[in-house]
Amino acid sequence: MASTTSLKPIPSINLPSQSHRALASNFSYSKPFPFHGLNLSSVTETSSFTSSRSSNPFTTTAFFFNKFKQEAAPHTPKPTKVQELHVYEMNERDRSSPAVLKLSQKPVNSLGDLVPFTNKLYSGDLQKRVGITAGLCVLIQHVPEKKGDRYEAIYSFYFGDYGHLSVQGPYLTYEDSYLAVTGGSGIFEGAYGQVKLHQIVFPMKLYYTFYLKGIGDLPAELLGKPVPPSPAVEPSAAAKATEPHGSIPNFTN
Amino acid sequence: MAASDKVQELHVYEMNERDRGSPAYLRLSQKPVNSLGDIVPFSNKIYRGDLEKRIGITAGMCILIEHKPELKGDRYEAIFSFYFGDYGHIAVQGPYLTYQDSYLAITGGSGIFEGVSGQVKLHQIVFPFKIFYTFYLKGIGELPEELLCKPVDPHPAVEAAPAAKACEPHAAIANFTN
Repeated sequence: MASTTSLKPIPSINLPSQSHRALASNFSYSKPFPFHGLNLSSVTETSSFTSSRSSNPFTTTAFFFNKFKQEAAPHTPKPTKVQELHVYEMNERDRSSPAVLKLSQKPVNSLGDLVPFTNKLYSGDLQKRVGITAGLCVLIQHVPEKKGDRYEAIYSFYFGDYGHLSVQGPYLTYEDSYLAVTGGSGIFEGAYGQVKLHQIVFPMKLYYTFYLKGIGDLPAELLGKPVPPSPAVEPSAAAKATEPHGSIPNFTN
Repeated sequence: MAASDKVQELHVYEMNERDRGSPAYLRLSQKPVNSLGDIVPFSNKIYRGDLEKRIGITAGMCILIEHKPELKGDRYEAIFSFYFGDYGHIAVQGPYLTYQDSYLAITGGSGIFEGVSGQVKLHQIVFPFKIFYTFYLKGIGELPEELLCKPVDPHPAVEAAPAAKACEPHAAIANFTN
């Protein structure tokens, strides 16, 4: 339905250099942790994971173990394994996306405007096309002092035969944000955690870092060394052309 | 109770102070009575349960499901988030019934709420301007003192403390969402 879609000419927004709201990483809590409390330090298995606290469902044995350790040292409970997954979302302007529905009927972006969208998804190393994103952005408010907008975003990431991940949270056109991972299917069944959204070029290129818990080991195919985000990043030619070696099985399209 | 089942209660007031252009009632059904097809994006302010601190905002939408004439109200499916400034956010989904209390699912969160699960009770005080929420949170660390309080009992005349309404530094959390 090309008539309902318009890629408004959007002035390139000067994004602050990778700044994002510091969340849990900078917190100091005034209350000392009771022995059964959950730790604050990022106890994970990934080196670059700094921005989130891990929540640790305790097993019974761990519970008693910590009771012994109480006097010895600040307890370090068994961590919940966190897996990082990196993906690039690219709007190649061939999916009639986004569909900006100016339902507020106001000239400036206002509550009431809805933006369904769907873009292509590539693995973090930009070597493989994995699928698409699909969902909705609900315009919440225009933020004139930041020359941008706040949206509430509700959408999914589709990974072909592997399944999908669903997310919900803030999309701020002027800075990075963290969305909640609300669930998944296939290999992502039972997934929870959060995902960092980093906008490279508004609204054409986004880089995501998922911090996933509650699932089995991710396949190697999705875990290639990610390309660091920069405005000029492009998927490999094979990935763009969705050649067999440049895409996952039955990549979503 | 095993630590993994530990439930933490969090109380929040959502107030529509009519200064955020909310709600935006999109009568897409094009019918004179509320009907399936109508969508209601919204965003209101949230305060700590004792109404002494401004915390942030809600943001999301209600999907009109069914008008209930016999109950003089409507059923919505609500999908929205609660924003707690630098602390992060909590995402929820579930029923919003304009004529009675309901429980929504907590679908996830970020920041200190990363990995959260549980449910939240929605208690409407004055439709649609004042709502009192009780969160039953699992799977996260101890909530910071600043968010915990003895809540004010919900009643129609509740108002945020003037300092909280004015977002004075001592009456608002750090970088409260606005």
